[in-house]
Amino acid sequence: MRARRKLIAPLLVIAIVAMAWIGLGMIVTNSYYQLMLTLVPIWAVMGLSWNLLSGYTGLISFGHAAFFGLGAYTVTIALVQFDITPWIGIPLGMVVGTVAGIVIGYPTFRLRGHYFALSMLAYPMALLYVFVWLGYQEVPLPMKREAPGFYMQFSDYRVYIALAVGLLVVSLLISLAVERSRFGMSLTAIKQNEPAAEAAGIDTLAWKMRAIMLSGAVAAAAGGLYAVVLLVVTPDSVFGMLTSAQALIVALFGGVGTLWGPLIGAAILIPLSETLQAQLGDVIPGIQGVVYGIAIILVVLLAPEGIFWRVRDRLQRSQAAGAAPMTPVAPPIAALAPGQASSRNRRPILAVSGISKSFGGLRAVVNASFEVADGEIVGIIGPNGAGKTTLFNLLNGFLAADGGKVVFAGRELIGLKPNRICRLGIGRTFQVVRAFPRLSVLNNVVVGAYATTTNDPDAFAAASAALAQVGLIGRSDAIAGGLTNKELRLMELARALAGRPRLLLMDEPLAGLASQEIEDMLVVIRALAAQGMTVVIIEHTMRAMVRLAERFVVLDHGAILAVGQPSEIINDEGVIEAYLGKKWAAIRARG
Amino acid sequence: MTSLGTFIEIFLQALIAGILIGAIYGLMCVGLGIIFGVMRVINFAQGEFLMLGMYFTFYLVVGFNMLSFLGPVVGPYTGALLAGPALFAVGYVLHRFLISRVTGVSVAGTEGEGHYAQLILTLGLALVLQNGGLILFGSTPQSVRTPLSARAWEIPLLYDANASLFLNKARAVAGVVSVVVAVALYWLINRSRLGKTLRAAADNAAAAIYMGIDVDRAYRIAFGIGIGITAIAGGLVATYNPFQPYIGLDFVIIMYAGVVLGGMGSILGAFWGGMTIGLVQQLSTLVLPTQLQNAAIFVVFLLIVMVRPQGLFGRATERV
Amino acid sequence: MLAVESLSVAYGGLTALCEISLAVRAGQFVSIVGPNGAGKTTLFKAISGTVCPSGGCIRFEERDLLAVAPSQRAHLGIAHVAEGRQIFGSMTVMENLEMGAYPQTGRRDWGRNLERIFAMFPILAERRGQAAGTLSGGEQQMLAIGRGIASSPRLLMLDEPSMGLAPVVADLIFERISDLHRDGLTILLVEQRVAEAVQSCDFGYVLETGRVVLEGTHQTLLSDNRIRSFYLGM
Repeated sequence: MRARRKLIAPLLVIAIVAMAWIGLGMIVTNSYYQLMLTLVPIWAVMGLSWNLLSGYTGLISFGHAAFFGLGAYTVTIALVQFDITPWIGIPLGMVVGTVAGIVIGYPTFRLRGHYFALSMLAYPMALLYVFVWLGYQEVPLPMKREAPGFYMQFSDYRVYIALAVGLLVVSLLISLAVERSRFGMSLTAIKQNEPAAEAAGIDTLAWKMRAIMLSGAVAAAAGGLYAVVLLVVTPDSVFGMLTSAQALIVALFGGVGTLWGPLIGAAILIPLSETLQAQLGDVIPGIQGVVYGIAIILVVLLAPEGIFWRVRDRLQRSQAAGAAPMTPVAPPIAALAPGQASSRNRRPILAVSGISKSFGGLRAVVNASFEVADGEIVGIIGPNGAGKTTLFNLLNGFLAADGGKVVFAGRELIGLKPNRICRLGIGRTFQVVRAFPRLSVLNNVVVGAYATTTNDPDAFAAASAALAQVGLIGRSDAIAGGLTNKELRLMELARALAGRPRLLLMDEPLAGLASQEIEDMLVVIRALAAQGMTVVIIEHTMRAMVRLAERFVVLDHGAILAVGQPSEIINDEGVIEAYLGKKWAAIRARG
Repeated sequence: MTSLGTFIEIFLQALIAGILIGAIYGLMCVGLGIIFGVMRVINFAQGEFLMLGMYFTFYLVVGFNMLSFLGPVVGPYTGALLAGPALFAVGYVLHRFLISRVTGVSVAGTEGEGHYAQLILTLGLALVLQNGGLILFGSTPQSVRTPLSARAWEIPLLYDANASLFLNKARAVAGVVSVVVAVALYWLINRSRLGKTLRAAADNAAAAIYMGIDVDRAYRIAFGIGIGITAIAGGLVATYNPFQPYIGLDFVIIMYAGVVLGGMGSILGAFWGGMTIGLVQQLSTLVLPTQLQNAAIFVVFLLIVMVRPQGLFGRATERV
Repeated sequence: MLAVESLSVAYGGLTALCEISLAVRAGQFVSIVGPNGAGKTTLFKAISGTVCPSGGCIRFEERDLLAVAPSQRAHLGIAHVAEGRQIFGSMTVMENLEMGAYPQTGRRDWGRNLERIFAMFPILAERRGQAAGTLSGGEQQMLAIGRGIASSPRLLMLDEPSMGLAPVVADLIFERISDLHRDGLTILLVEQRVAEAVQSCDFGYVLETGRVVLEGTHQTLLSDNRIRSFYLGM
C-alpha cells in the first residue's frame, strides 16, 4: 500500500511535465524553438539511457554514442535502402541496440572502473571509423511525399514534439519501473558494494547485462528519433565524442541514479548550449563544447552527484533538524522454537578439507581442514595476516581455491559463484559496512532477500523479520545515513539474515564497537545461534570471543594451528607463541 | 618473385614507418604513462595537451616566428622541445587547482570514486580545451612545415635495383628526437633524486610522507612532466602531420592502448607499448584499408584489456 | 621528548582515540600494547600527521607538532616505520634506503648510516639491487627499519614490526630494536606481541578501545595479571 502511494506522485509529475511540454509545443511557432523542444526530450532520453546503466550501477560508460549511432543508422539504412518506415525502423533500432548491449557488455563487464570506461570509449570510435569506411559519410533521409505520415515525416513540427515527448514519457516510465523494483535495488546494491551484493545472492553479471541491454535499447530509440527529426545522419554527429559526452553530462548535471536527473539536466543544458551555439556559433564556434566542459567541471567539483541530489539533501537536512530523538534499539526477540536449543544436531554442516590458496609466492591459506557442526558458534582467530579473511573468501566463492574440498550440507562449494553459494544457505557479513546512505534501513536490508523470494511483498516480509531478529525493527524507516556504528553492523547482519541462511560467516562484526555495544551484539548472536543458526566468526576481541564461541579454530600463517574449546586454546603453547609471543610463558614461569 | 618482392618492399616500408611513428607514439605514451601508469590518475584530456603542444610549436615557430634565427630545420624541433616546459607549467597549475581536488589523499578513502571523478573532470577539461582551441585557433588544419617534411631518404633494397624504401625525413628526425627525449626522461626518472622521489610518492604516498617527502608537490611535478612530455611529442608530430583542434581525440585511445599494453607503472613499458601500437597501426594498412587503421587499434586495445590487463611489462597485481 | 596530551581522534561517527595522554623521554624505550582496534595505529598516524586529531595536542621537543605539516615531521627527526612495512615495492632496496635518507640529517650521515644498517641486517647488503617488493616479509621489515634509521632520527616509531612474521624472525627484529635502544636511540613501539613489547621497554601503556587502561614501568607491567586478561579475557 505504501508502495503504491509512492508511485502516484512521480506518475503525476510525469503526466504534468508531458502535458505542459506538449502545450508549450502547441503555442510556439518559431521553428528554432520548436527544434529545441524536440531535442531536449531526445537528449533527456539519452541521459536516461545512460542512467540506466551507469547511473544505477556506477559503471561509467563513455560510449553510449555507440547505441545512439546504431539506432540512428538502423533507421536511416532501413529507410534509404529497404524503404522501411521509421515507425518500424525505430523498434528495429532498439533491437539492434539491445543486441549491441549484449555484445559489448559481455566482454567489457569483466573490467572494472577506469578500464571499463576507457573500453566503452573505444566502441563508438571504432564504429565511427567503420561507418566512414563503409561510405556513410553523410546520409540524408529521403523525403517521402507520397505518404509522409507513414514514414514519420510531418510538415507540422508539433507532431515531432509530441513524438519526442512520447518517447520521453516511455523512457521515464521504464526508469521508474526499474528504480522502484528489484531491478533498481539490485543495481544500487551492485554500485554500493559489488562483493557484498554478490554474497547476498544477487547475480551481478546477469543484472548488469539486463541493464546494458535496456540502456542500449533506449539509447538506440533516441538515436532513431534523432535521425528522423534531423533528416541527416553523419558518423560524427551520432558516434562522436560529443554525443557520448552529452548523454553523460545531462545525467550527471541533473542527477545521477534518478529518473529526474536527466530531465533536469537536459532542460537546462540543451537550451543553454544550443542557444549559445545559435547566437554565437558563427563568431565562437565550439562554444557548445566549452559550455559543456565547464558545466562538467563545476558539477564534479561542487555537486558530484548532480543538482537533484544536492537540492534534495539540502532540503532533507533542514527537515531532519527537527526530527524526533533516536529511539533506543529494542532488545532482540529471543524467539525460540521449542526444543530446538537442546536437540541441536551435532552433525557437521560444513566440512573443509585441505583447501589452499596462494597468490604468487605468498601462501595465504595452506592445507586447512576443519569442521563446523550444525548450530555451533565457531570463532576463527589468529594474528593479523594469518589468512582468516582469505579463508572466508574461499568459503564464500570470491576466491578460487587452489585445491581441497568444501562441503556444505552435502553440496560441494568449490567452483560455485558467490551468489550461488548464498542461495545454498550461506550468508556473509563484511568488515566494512557499505550501506545505501539515502535509503531506509528496510530498503537496505531487502536486497538480501532477493535471492530467496520471488516477489516484493515476500522480500519485504523477510527483511522485516530479519530486522526483528536483530532488534532493529523500530528503525526500519530510518535513513541509513544517520545510523550509529552498532546499528550499521546490525543492519548488515539483518541483510545477511534476510536470505534465511543456515550458516552465517561474520567478518569482524565487533570491530570498532565500545564495550557495551559489544555486549549487545553478543546477545544478538547468541539468540541467532539459539534459533539454530550456525555461526562462524572472525574476531580479534578475545575478551568477547571466549564467552561467545563454543570452539576456536586458530589460524597462523595460513595453516590451522589449533582447534578446540576456548579454555584449551588459551592455554595452548602454540597459540601463546603465535599471539602473545614465546617469551611470555618463559617470563611468567620465571615469575 | 616480383610480387613477393613487392610485398616485402611494402612490408618493410610499413615496418619502417611503424618504427618511426611508434617512437613518437612511445614518447606520447610515456607522458601518459607517468600520469596514468605511475600516479594512477585518469587524464582524459591527455590528447588535448598533445594538441596544445602542436599549437604551441606552431605559434612559436610559424605564427610568431620567434625561432627563425635557428633556421628552418632546427627551429621547429627546438620549438617542439620548448613545448615541454611550457606545458609543464600548465600541467603543474592545473594539477594544483583542479586535478588535485579529485586525486590523492582527499579521495583516497572513497574507493574507486576518485577515478570516477577524475574521468569526468578531465572529460570536461578535454571539452573545454578542444573547443577552446577551436575558438582560439580556428578549424583550419595547420602544420609546421620544415624543409624535411617533403623529402625522404632513399634506402635501396639490396635484392632489387628498382625497389627502395623511402624514409620521410621529417618523420625520421621526429622519431629520433622522440627516442632521445624518452631516454633523457628515463634517466631522469630512474637515476636522479627527483625521479626517485616521484616514484616513491607514486608507489606509496603514505610512506613517502613518513620519509619527509612533500607528496603533493611530487604529484604536481609528475603531472606537469607527463603533460610536458606529451606536448613535446605533439610538437614533433606537428612537423610531419597537419593538425586541428580536435586531433586530440584521435590520439587518446592510441595513448591509452599503448600504456595499457606496456603495463601500468612501467614507463619503459609505456614506450614499448606506444611503439607496438605504432607498428600495429602501420602494419594493419597491409591488410586493412587506411581508414580502418585506427579501428584496428581500438580492437587491439580491447583485446589487451580483456586478455592481459597487466600488459606486457606490468605486474599482475591488479587484483580484482 | 614526545608528549601526547588528551589526544582524541574521531573518524566519522567512530571515536578511535579518546583523550589519551602519554610521554616519551629522550633515550627511553616506550611500548604501547593492546588488542586490535584499540587505536594504536591511529595514534601513530596522528603523530605522523596522516590523521587529524579532533582534540588535544602533541608536542615534540617543546614544539607543537600539530602545527607542522605531515611531510615536514620527518625532517624534525621523527621516523615512522609503518604497520605492514609500507616499503616502496617497485624500487630497489638501495633506493628505498636512499629515500629513507631524504631529510638533511639523513644525507649528512649517509655513509655512516649505511654501514650501520648493513651491519645490522647483512641480508640487505646482499640484496641491495633487488626490487623491494620481492623480498620476504622479514626482509621487508628489516628494510623498513633500515629506512627508518637512514634519516638519523631522534625518535624511532615502530608500528607492529612483528606483524605477519614467523616467530623466529620476529625475535631477530626485536633483538635489533633493543640494540638500537642500547645505542641511545629513543624508541616508541606499538605491538600486538605483548611479551616482546613489555620485556624490552622502559615504560609501557596498554590501550583498549581508544583509552589508556594501564600504564607503568617494565616491572609493573610484567607482574600484572591484567595484561593477560586484557588479551585473553580470562
